Amino acid sequence: MPKGIGKIKIRVPRKIKKGAVIPVKALITHPMETGFRKDKKTKKRIPAYYINDVNVYYGNDLITHMEWTIAVSANPFMTFYLKADKAAPLKIVWKDIKGGEYEKTIQINPQ
Amino acid sequence: MKEGSKISRREFMMMAGLACTAVLSASSLGSVLKPSIAEAAEKPDVEHINDVLKNMFGSRKIEMAHVKLKTPIIAENGAVVPVTVISDLPMEKDNYVKKIYIFVDENYHPFTASAELSPANGKATLALRIKMRKTSNVRAVVETSTGKLYSAIKAVKVTIGGCGG
Repeated sequence: MPKGIGKIKIRVPRKIKKGAVIPVKALITHPMETGFRKDKKTKKRIPAYYINDVNVYYGNDLITHMEWTIAVSANPFMTFYLKADKAAPLKIVWKDIKGGEYEKTIQINPQ
Repeated sequence: MKEGSKISRREFMMMAGLACTAVLSASSLGSVLKPSIAEAAEKPDVEHINDVLKNMFGSRKIEMAHVKLKTPIIAENGAVVPVTVISDLPMEKDNYVKKIYIFVDENYHPFTASAELSPANGKATLALRIKMRKTSNVRAVVETSTGKLYSAIKAVKVTIGGCGG
């Protein structure tokens, strides 16, 4: 089990041409408990605890919204694409069912 | 003396063999039984893929085109299965891929994830790592802003034991 929940890494290409479609890879540490698993020692069910909502903002616009369920792997890793047509911050916000909110912003500077 | 050593050697081999099989069977039993025990304890309400699709899309036609699904053929670990959905549909202002859905047919809840895209994504592609309970079809559905539905299906074999068989 990962200790630090909500550690985030976001990767984009180092050099971005203006208007290019670039891959954005993002990783967050989160246990993504299904609610089906049992604790081996206490024999008690581990309650469900997972990220169910992901939002991606580019500048002021919400460009992608994702809905996740328990069937997304622990420490979710995703890749999506972005048309880099302006210099603006890219913000990704993850929300879990216990009200946890994790976010990270990187700057997109196309040349 | 000779006789004695022979017997002890044979005994030793037999014991070693027994111990080996015991360990093997215990470990394989353990890995097979563990999930089933966990499942028996918590019987989740099982949803069938056809019902899920019907609830989400009604009787709309789903065409098997314009979507490519990249998955491993054999997934050694069902807890981490990389899946990539790629669509060649355009991402223009008035005609773009609005939503990508991922389903796993044999999971208790087939609906796995969805992503609402916009033209700012530039490319209708989404990669995610998902969990699979057992060998099953993985299904991707793509919805365009004009209301059309496209889909792709791929079978993924999950080997829980981790022996690759």
